[in-house]
Order: sequence, then C-alpha cells, then structure tokens
Amino acid sequence: MNKKFRSLPTTRRYKGLLVEPKIRNFFTGRIWLRRDTPFPQEKINTYIQHHYFEVLPAVLDQPIRQCRRCLNTNSRKFVSFHCAKCGEICHYCRYCITMGRMCSCDELLLWKNEHPQKTPQSHTFHWQGQLTKNQARAAQELTRSILQKNNHLIHAVCGAGKTEVLFPAVYEALQLGKRVCIATPRTDVVLELFPRFQQVFPKTCIHAYYGNAPQQQGFAQLVLATTHQLYRFENAFDVMIVDEADAFPYTMDEALQQAVIKVKKKEAPTAYVTATPSTTLLTRKTKEQWGYSFIARRFHGQPLPIPTFQALWNYEKTFQKGQIPIKLRNWLQQKLTNNEPFLIFFPTIDLMEKAIPLFQQIDASIAAVHAEDADRKEKVVELRNEQRKGLLTTTILERGITIKNVQVAVVGAESSIFTASALIQISGRVGRNKDFPNGDIVFFHHGITAEMDLAKKRMLDFNRQLQ
Amino acid sequence: MQQKITHCLICERSLQFTFGWKELFKRELPKMICESCEKKFQRIETQEEEGTVSLFHYNETMKDFLHRYKFLHDILLAHVFNQVLQQHLKHEKSIIVPIPMHVDSLKKRTFAHVDELLKAAHIPFEHHLIKITGEQQSLKSRQERLQTPQLFEIIEHSKIRNKNILLIDDIYTTGTTIQHAKRALKEAGAMEVRAFTLIHG
Ligand SMILES: [Zn+2]
Ligand SMILES: [Zn+2]
Ligand SMILES: [Zn+2]
Repeated sequence: MNKKFRSLPTTRRYKGLLVEPKIRNFFTGRIWLRRDTPFPQEKINTYIQHHYFEVLPAVLDQPIRQCRRCLNTNSRKFVSFHCAKCGEICHYCRYCITMGRMCSCDELLLWKNEHPQKTPQSHTFHWQGQLTKNQARAAQELTRSILQKNNHLIHAVCGAGKTEVLFPAVYEALQLGKRVCIATPRTDVVLELFPRFQQVFPKTCIHAYYGNAPQQQGFAQLVLATTHQLYRFENAFDVMIVDEADAFPYTMDEALQQAVIKVKKKEAPTAYVTATPSTTLLTRKTKEQWGYSFIARRFHGQPLPIPTFQALWNYEKTFQKGQIPIKLRNWLQQKLTNNEPFLIFFPTIDLMEKAIPLFQQIDASIAAVHAEDADRKEKVVELRNEQRKGLLTTTILERGITIKNVQVAVVGAESSIFTASALIQISGRVGRNKDFPNGDIVFFHHGITAEMDLAKKRMLDFNRQLQ
Repeated sequence: MQQKITHCLICERSLQFTFGWKELFKRELPKMICESCEKKFQRIETQEEEGTVSLFHYNETMKDFLHRYKFLHDILLAHVFNQVLQQHLKHEKSIIVPIPMHVDSLKKRTFAHVDELLKAAHIPFEHHLIKITGEQQSLKSRQERLQTPQLFEIIEHSKIRNKNILLIDDIYTTGTTIQHAKRALKEAGAMEVRAFTLIHG
C-alpha cells in the first residue's frame, strides 16, 4: 500500500533561523509524534521547512511492518483498520500505544542536529557516604569501561548498594559533557532513584520519565527512564546504564536490546546492573569481552539469609475451604508474636484475594498489594512505619523495597511465575539493614522446582565467595 | 478482523480456549477477554431510564476501557463486548441506528466508535442521522444543552417514515444526545423510537 506523505516545499535553509532553546532542549535525542508536540503546529512546520527535523512515517511497511517508534515487528501487535482520517487501510502498533496511538498516516519527528554544548553544564558531586572496598573496586572498573567505550556488567548481590557504585562513573561521564541514561523496567525504581541522584548531583539537569510523568524543562544531561519510555528517544545517549536488567521476562530480552541500541549513540557503551544476570547477558559478556564486576558482599558485610523449603501440600484447596494452611499460620503467628514486619508473596492475584480476608481476621492491619493497586506506595510506607503488621503481595514487591527487619514467605514457590531470578530478588528483601542482617525467608511449596533449587544455589554461591 | 485473538484484549493474559465448541455449534463470536477482566465490568440489574436500555455501570474498569477505546483510539477494543452485544441485539426487529459522529471528530478519532462496537458484534445497522454540530455536549451547561436547537439531521425522511427504530450509543450520561436523536426521528415520521446504550454513566 502506498501512503502519500505530504512533501513540504523545500526552502533553502535559512541560516539565520534562531533555534529556540526550548525546542532544541525538548527534541534533542527524541523521536516524537508530529501532531502531538507541546509546541504550536506552525512553529514545528517552520523548523521542518528549515530542515531541522527529519519527518518519518510512524509505521513502516517495508521490508516488514515495523513500528518506527518502538521498532516492534510482531504482527500480533499490529491492528489494521479502515482509517477515517486518510480514507485508507491504516495499521497501528499496540505495543507502545500508551504513549499515544500512531497509525500509518501519522508522522514522527526526529531532530537532526546535535545539541551544541556551547556552555557546558557544570556538575558537582555531593555525596558524604563511603564506598565499601568491593563497591569502590566495581565503581573503578565501571568508570574505566565507560571511558574506554566498553560494555560492562555489574553482577551484584541484592543489598550490595549498587546505586552508589554508579555515582563515580556517572559523575565522570557528565563532566566530560556526555549525556547519560539510566533505564530500569519499573516505575517504582525510577521514582526511588530520582531524588537520590538529584541529591548527589544538585547542579545537573536531571529528568525522570515514566508513565504520566510531568513535563520537565531544560536539557537533561542525565535521564532516568523506564525502559518503556526509551521508545521516545533515538540516537540520544553517550552512556547507557540498564539497571535491574533481569526484571524482564526472558522473551523481552530482545526487545530490550533493540530499545537500548536505538536510544544510544552508535559508539556509546552500555552497562548492565543486576543480581541475577540471564544466560544471554553472561554469554554476551564473555563473547564480546565486556568489563565485569562482581560484588558478593552486601554493603554491611554479612552473608545473604538462605531460604528454607517447607512443603505446603494442596495450599490452594485449603484457601478455597477458607482456611490458612497450618504451617503458614504458625509462621504468621510467630512473626506477629515477635512483632516483626512481614511480606508474604502469592503467585496470583486471585489466590491472594481469596487469602486476604483470612489474614485480616487474624490481624486487621494486614493488607494486600498488587500492580494495579493505586495505594501500593502508601501501604508499603505504612508497613515501614509499623502501622501495618505485614503485607500480602504479588511479585510486584520483589525488588526495590527495603524494610528494616522484614521477614519473608513465598506461598506456592513452585509456581512458574517464581523464576530463580524472582526468588533471588524476593529473598534479597531480607537482612538488608546493618542492624538486622538476618531474617527468615521460607519457600512454602507444593513440590520443589529446579528454579527453587537454582535460586538457593546462587545465593549459597554468593556467600561462598565471602570466605 | 485480521487475525485470531489469542490473548485477552485488556490484560494480555493468554486466553484459554475450549476448542471452539460454542463458536462452532452455536455460532457464537469468539471470546476476546479473560474471565477475570470480564468479572470487573458491572452489569446493570434494573434500568433507570424510560425507553432506554443500558447494559453496564460506569465503574473504574469501564472508565479505563472507554479511555483506551475512545481516547487512546485502540479500535481493537471494539471486540471486548462482541458476545454480549450480539446476544442483546441479534433478534432485534427495529432498524438499528447508531448515533453518528460529527465528520470533524470522526476524522480526528479515525473511526466511529459506536459503529465499530456493532460491527464487532456482527449486528447490521443503518445510518439515518447526520450530526450537525461538532461541539461536545458534556462541555456545556445544562441550560445550554437544553437550548441547543438541533444536533441531528435526517438523511432521507422516506426511509424512516412509519418505521420502528432502536438508537444505539456507547454511553448514556445526560440523555441529551438520545433525546435530540429521538425528536429528530419522530419529527421525520418514525413510529416507535427506543434507545440502547452499552453503558449508563
Ligand atoms: Zn510501537
Ligand atoms: Zn490513516
Ligand atoms: Zn484479561
């Protein structure tokens, strides 16, 4: 099918067009829907006439159908329909639709000019903390890799303090005028990192991008973004850092890689930070000779609490009958008696919703949280403030949260949603505080899976490295 | 539609198929959403408006659905209610007439959302109305709405004279749209005009 894109009259580039900083700051490194910018259409048209933008079709048809914004080519994710705007059959991508639907007759804008750093931003580094020996070594190795434009993998135990490890390398890169992006799959993690980076780099213009983030002013030399928001950037960054790279399901590996390649400049190095690197990542590390840092020691120096396995046969039926399985009930009673906060992970929302009234009969302050729960953050804060005894949760709380002296149970640890990497992250919630480096982590199960064994083995490996 | 839907249109969970028994023998349309999403929509037990039947309450899930369908323009979501709309409308004897969109809004949205709901449910319909004002009813005060002279024109009077008509809209909020359409059709000689909306706001 042939789409006719309106070809604009080619005016010779008028050198005198004074580029507004607002426009330049906004569009540098961005790929944006033409009819939906925060600027008046006429203004955008003027810049197009002066060749500041490349105008691209939103959906490519050749050689295969591809979304030009997120690069998705999965045909299941495209919808074809008779479009009342252009009068033809149009196609749109459902993969990135939450950022505004774009169909075949829509156009994307790509800013062609590099951002001229006439007056480089000045940066300061405000951090009073002290890196442990392990952190310092990893920080040095990461900085070296980035300066040499080499990729890098930081493989760090949960609770190693990996954000601090990033600070020196990020500072170094910023001072050299490089644009840095830290991407992570979860909005919660972006929201947690944003104030920390603002504190450490008080003079740096930092933007945080996640779903429904407010519009931010200026040219951000440091960008924190959910991996989903990366789709709105292209050829933008001199340094890419992918945090919590393992939070993706395995099938997403490729989509993530593609997104990373798209948003970074060609020569730009990428660093991955994770407690549970996938085999793909480890293979690439070896094959492509990336830099590598391994931190087995938690920042407080104590070993990881190791999970114990407890059979909880037919727990689903017991919940169906309106009872809490006896072993789980005993565990709960013990935590309540000791007055220790707890998290209990469930494999599905359905099972959790069946269970929550039973727990609330025992203690009314117990609440349940899941991904679409609008009050998730408040409930976690209430747990931290000891206003709640404990929470039931789906895997949504598997990472990013730190609660002093928290005790953790996994119900149905054999379920397929609990991969080794998820179980390691969940176990990693325990013993993070230096005053409470121990804690209980129990996998309640209806049969032991290979993933459970693997998770335990990986954690024992970390601890073995300490000796 | 272009292809078989294998995942819930709302939550993306993979759909459990019962080997298409029902589809084959009862000629039912395929299910497009999972059970847990289906449960979150709330059916209306007792009708509130005279002469208008509505199927669902405007709860959070429905709000979210309408947002994704009408404002994010995800036309595929027209299929979410395919089965329930088909059940309700397949034996309808009156002429089914969707509330039309103004031509400017149609261009902007790229599809007529009421038409698409009906198409997804395999319900035949006819257009007999033209929307003559592009202004949104919900942006006006009650006073202004009542004073609005006429929102619709009839395409061809002879086609509706002495006919029974069932008007279809996505949501019943103030009732103004339905009232205007009813009046226009009655004045043009239609016999009985009832209305049906997916949602009661
Ligand atoms: Zn896309
Ligand atoms: Zn079109
Ligand atoms: Zn669903």
